[in-house]
Amino acid sequence: MNRSVSLALWAGTLTGVGLCGAATLAYALDVEAASHLARLGVIALFVTPPLRLAVAAGGFFAVGERRFGAASSVVLLALLAAAVHAALR
Amino acid sequence: MTALLLAAVGLGAGTLGALMGIGGGIIVVPILTAGFGLPFRHAVAVSLVVIIASSSSAAASYVDRKLSDMRVGVVLELATVAGAMLGSAVAGLAPVGLLKALFAAVAVYSALVMWRRRPAGPQAPEGAPYTVRRWGTGLGASAVAGAISGLIGVGGGFIKVPVMTLAMELPFKVAVATSNFMIGVTAAASAYVYYARGDLEVAVAAPVVVGVFAGARLGATLLGRIPAARLQAAFSALLVLLGGRMVWDVLRGLP
Repeated sequence: MNRSVSLALWAGTLTGVGLCGAATLAYALDVEAASHLARLGVIALFVTPPLRLAVAAGGFFAVGERRFGAASSVVLLALLAAAVHAALR
Repeated sequence: MTALLLAAVGLGAGTLGALMGIGGGIIVVPILTAGFGLPFRHAVAVSLVVIIASSSSAAASYVDRKLSDMRVGVVLELATVAGAMLGSAVAGLAPVGLLKALFAAVAVYSALVMWRRRPAGPQAPEGAPYTVRRWGTGLGASAVAGAISGLIGVGGGFIKVPVMTLAMELPFKVAVATSNFMIGVTAAASAYVYYARGDLEVAVAAPVVVGVFAGARLGATLLGRIPAARLQAAFSALLVLLGGRMVWDVLRGLP
């Protein structure tokens, strides 16, 4: 489970930081796509914690540790509700 | 040009944060408000995005090395996320002067902790067994840490790590790694609320994220080569100055 959680964190973070890096260059060069890249980068970072929670919850349920899986799931649902609320604004 | 300047500011904040063992938020927020004229809540929103990036990459390393106690982390996250959502919602209603005063208090507290920091004593060997105690205290402190994180855009490790070591009796390294494991989720819960309120400027957040991310790596590399202990006094003074600047802003009625 540790490896899966770590990979999920790296995948989300590097995607987000990579897109933010591209956005920074685009802003510096005055390229029109800069704001889209920045938004995508921030969204990738926003997705990382729920992704990590989902992987951890799945891992806990897979090894039979239901209480910890349930705790992760509750936090995940709270984050998803807040994210949906933010996206709809 | 501004984007590169923001990235450079992030680079400096990330490097200093890694050298001093603190998150970038405590540096980023005052620089964005004082140096770039960003409203306080907008600076806090940027700081929260930066915290997601920096804590997620640190947590990835800690989890991979099995240093984080994920069981403790997922339970305490119930409290930090609730606190963070409440804190960030209150931040939208509270007077900015009050938020800045709270930020100044946290900056001065962090400076004092850094000033008095002593080399760590003998540590339990890595992987040694331990029993987690006082869950109630841990949950209460985590809720407070989450609320402060949501109010002023800092990670909250300055509350969680001492409580996890002193009250819950986790080994220090495990406490640091577990705190990092939780911080990204806590910051995300707050960041969504700021985003929904329209407080997040992605054009500012993106360059600062890149700078802090690179700076954290640079700081980790420099850590063994620079006498960081000598920098602590200077950095403590800088934190007091940044806190003082916040108080000055409050007195002048700046947003």
